Amino acid sequence: MTKGLFTRANIARTLLLGFFLLFTFAPLYWMFITSIKPSDDYLAVPPVWFPAEPTMLHYTAALFAYRGLDGLINSVIISAAATLLSTVLGTLMAYSLARFNTGGQHLSFWVLSQRFLPPIAIVLPIFLIYRAVGLHDTHLGLIIAYTVFTLPVTVWMMFAYFRQMPKSLEEAALVDGCTRWQSLWRVAIPLAMPGIVAAAVFAFIACWTEFFFALILTSQTAFTLPTVFRAFLGFQGAQYGEASALAMVSLVPSIILGILAQRHLVRGLTLGAVRG
Amino acid sequence: MSAPATRFDTLSEWSDRHFKWLLVAPAVLLILALSVYPLLFSVWVLFVNYDFTVPGHGFVGLRNFTRVLADPVARWSLWVTVLLSTINVAIEFLLGLALALAMVKNFRGRGLIMSLLIIPLFISPVIVGQAWALLLQRPFGPTNYVLSQILGFEVTIGWLTQAPWNFIALVLADVWQWTPFMFVILLAGLTAIPPNLYEAAELDGVDGWRAFWWITLPQLGPMIMLAITFRILDAVRLFDTIFVMTGGGPGTNTYSSSFYLYTLGFTQFHLSEATAGAWMFLVITAILITFLVRRLLKAEPT
Repeated sequence: MTKGLFTRANIARTLLLGFFLLFTFAPLYWMFITSIKPSDDYLAVPPVWFPAEPTMLHYTAALFAYRGLDGLINSVIISAAATLLSTVLGTLMAYSLARFNTGGQHLSFWVLSQRFLPPIAIVLPIFLIYRAVGLHDTHLGLIIAYTVFTLPVTVWMMFAYFRQMPKSLEEAALVDGCTRWQSLWRVAIPLAMPGIVAAAVFAFIACWTEFFFALILTSQTAFTLPTVFRAFLGFQGAQYGEASALAMVSLVPSIILGILAQRHLVRGLTLGAVRG
Repeated sequence: MSAPATRFDTLSEWSDRHFKWLLVAPAVLLILALSVYPLLFSVWVLFVNYDFTVPGHGFVGLRNFTRVLADPVARWSLWVTVLLSTINVAIEFLLGLALALAMVKNFRGRGLIMSLLIIPLFISPVIVGQAWALLLQRPFGPTNYVLSQILGFEVTIGWLTQAPWNFIALVLADVWQWTPFMFVILLAGLTAIPPNLYEAAELDGVDGWRAFWWITLPQLGPMIMLAITFRILDAVRLFDTIFVMTGGGPGTNTYSSSFYLYTLGFTQFHLSEATAGAWMFLVITAILITFLVRRLLKAEPT
């Protein structure tokens, strides 16, 4: 292995990664700059790549004048509650599927198929039902919808996790006189904790970034952060700064969470089909 | 067990006996209530007149279906969906594969670059659309300026309002967000290929492109199928970036199926027609799922 630093493969790799990183960061950089740029600089030619006098004005406007703060609070409440529900129910179900083969292949594949239903087919009737029972535009309504929408991923991630976990410790607990519930609660759950945390992180990110359900199932009360962007559409340019500021507020938490859980990313993206 | 059974014992014995069903019950009930029941309910909606602009729910037979089928926008939107998802997934696959090949060997800074490359996966598609709109929009976005500087003549493209540039803009946003998805899965596949295969091949004088063609691609096969299947099933839902970037426009030029059905149901309030269209879309998707997942299960050695 005495190949030089400037082999053709090395140069190609550096160029490819360099270009792709530039591609990845160009929109993020421009959005960040727009969020701190005074409105007077918007139409300057050549474009202002970095504002001489950065301003936080757009952030306060986005959060208060455009109800971004309400959206943020709703997003936190709804995503956290749905994540909790989805993780608890999903873990229990996954344990049963993995250890007892409950319902055979049919049940597990039925859950998986839910992941691939087109949302538009589900959301129309849910909208009608929610209006009829008073769940439209409520926190509870969106929490339930998000729980169901994240369950397939949670179940399949934890299904894969429990299957590769040895069951000898749980069996030992049963021999020692534990009930099934105790062996689940005291042995299996603590052992599976890293997997459970990872599943929860991905469920949270999915809820945090979701737009379609929130657009249709909420309006003035339970609206989430992504739906606040509706306010900035169609007005040629007047609110670029506000939209960018709100975007920065929304993307920072989910990026941090995602990078913290990146070790589990492959399992998360493939619903446990591939171990990273 | 010689001790007399108390009521609590009976209960705990019962719950132990039905343990496995008690564990799945809450999740199954919730999915039944919020996915299966709505779908069944919507079967009734299909054949009546459920329209916020017309009072009452009279039986109308198949009229909801025939109206959607007769609508040229419905057919156009299906075509847009097929076209955009094919182009998106193809580009994402090729770019993702190239990135995975570039990242498979260890080098300095690899961990950091890995973390940076996956960032788009954790951003709401609405924000991705917003970011690209900011970058491309005329006259505010810097794209036309940069292109003018590079090309040496004045570029004035309406990226969000002129065909075919509006499609290119939508593809850019989708490729930006989902190439990392392909990359991450394909990289996991590449890492799993046993290195002794390459060593043996090298002894036989097989290396470079031929090794890629005869070892890497076949070994990666199941993983490629998996990544493309998962991606296609999400790509056909395309909605968020269209909503933010083009609003379906100009006119109905960039309507995807989801966007068309959304406007039919929620801006024109023809809920029954939208439901009929959604069912047809569901059937098409189900056929696609069956086809893709079959092939996927066949490709998987396990």
